[in-house]
Amino acid sequence: MQIKERKVPKGMVLDVVGDLTYANRSVFKAAVEKVKQAGCRHLIVNLEQVRFVDSAGLGLLVLVSQGFKLQQAHVSMLKPQSYVREILSLANIPKMIPIYESEEDALTARAA
Amino acid sequence: MTLDALSHIAQDFASPPAPRTFTATILLVEDELVTRTSMAVRLKRLGHRVLEAGNGQEGLDLARRDRPDLIIVDWMMPEMDGPTFCEALRRDPLLKSSQVLLMTSHDQPAQIAEGLARGADDFLSKSASKQEVTARVLAGLRTSRLVRQLEATGDELESSMLLLKKKQAETEADLQTAANFVRSLLPPQGSPVQGIALAWEYQPSLTLGGDLFGVMAIDADHLGLYILDASGHGVAAALRSASLMTFLRVENMLQLLGSYDPEKVMFEANRRFPLSAEGEYFTLWVGQLHLPTRSLSYVSAGHPGALLSSAQSTSQWLTRPSSPLGFDRTARFASDRISLKPADRLFLLSDGIYEVPSPGGELWGRKHFQDVIDAGRQMSLSRTIASCFSEARRWQQAHQFPDDAAVVGLELIDGPEGEPRG
Repeated sequence: MQIKERKVPKGMVLDVVGDLTYANRSVFKAAVEKVKQAGCRHLIVNLEQVRFVDSAGLGLLVLVSQGFKLQQAHVSMLKPQSYVREILSLANIPKMIPIYESEEDALTARAA
Repeated sequence: MTLDALSHIAQDFASPPAPRTFTATILLVEDELVTRTSMAVRLKRLGHRVLEAGNGQEGLDLARRDRPDLIIVDWMMPEMDGPTFCEALRRDPLLKSSQVLLMTSHDQPAQIAEGLARGADDFLSKSASKQEVTARVLAGLRTSRLVRQLEATGDELESSMLLLKKKQAETEADLQTAANFVRSLLPPQGSPVQGIALAWEYQPSLTLGGDLFGVMAIDADHLGLYILDASGHGVAAALRSASLMTFLRVENMLQLLGSYDPEKVMFEANRRFPLSAEGEYFTLWVGQLHLPTRSLSYVSAGHPGALLSSAQSTSQWLTRPSSPLGFDRTARFASDRISLKPADRLFLLSDGIYEVPSPGGELWGRKHFQDVIDAGRQMSLSRTIASCFSEARRWQQAHQFPDDAAVVGLELIDGPEGEPRG
């Protein structure tokens, strides 16, 4: 898994490429910790290039969301592929971490 | 005694002793007494301990007994000559790494090549100067020290490896014992209650699995069912699963809740098994089958669910989007209800059975799993389940599953014995 971070107005995007799974959890945790330390108030996890999220990956997403919420910050997800979207929906994740189809939508919705 | 030898001895006794750096043991194998004595004196003056052998066999015996740091052997000896001595040395596992200087009166290239080919490490001319002898002996001892250090390191590595293997075997044995125990908690295949057939297959990705399930009679009229999946893998996940499995025991639920009502069970499990600080959690599917009416009530907490296979129609998934356990401690889990018919089959499964990637990375998926279940209507329950595993393995082109994989099948037996009561 590869993760690149980008600054956007009022937030940061993590472009994730690969599978978000138990085996890759340390890489994801480290990337999130880095943006958190940088004072990020709105984290957008771009899942467009993620083919698979396993149960450990789901747990991490929820944990990250809860951690940001405690600091009055937000997490959003961007453009998950259909299978990942199905996995996320089955576990009701979008109720905790909203899914957006573009960065603009995510930034606008959170700014509102 | 030749004049030359006498002059060497005289020269050696006249010279001051060389500075002692370290005391090495050098074995000198030479049949000619004068030459041997002369060389022994030289070496002793260099500060070394010298062992002397008058022939090859005696030399080999001394070498085995004392493991000298360096062996100097004469080429020309009766019975066993120098090169033959070298060959015998290299064949001996204890001595094969010895450093050997072959002493010769000749230094023809062909002879040197033969000596090296037959096991010598270096040559020493019998007419060599004192400085050359010293230099070659020191060079041989340097190499010998390095070889000994390498051998010691190798020995240490080997004993560490043996220790690691022993520890690993102990851990594996412990894990296997734990796995056997967990497996003993799983329901026996066959017929848990009259009118129901039960078959299952379970393939943990490691020795201990985090997916567990239960099928148990609650009372004369109710059958309880559940399948749980701990996020992650390994021993930690397996221990957490065993803990939830213990919690879900019928006796515990009846004592705690007064029934095995799936909504109540899920509410309580959700309250007691929160998302851990490491992001670990469970998904769980719980059902209760009322045997007299064949009415199944069930609740899912983020679990992929169960699949109902009916003779009259295509199979259908029994689940709805819901949060896994512990994501929201106040969450309420609404149950669904469905009436089963004779010969219906209900499959509880973990996502590990269908989340298997092909070598190209494409997942097998729920639809393929469902197709195998539908195609297996004419097969026995256990053969249908076995087909799920064989098809998933065929897809991933590997025997071992990347995650725990479990499929539990229940069939409402159609016929006189399976007639519903009430």
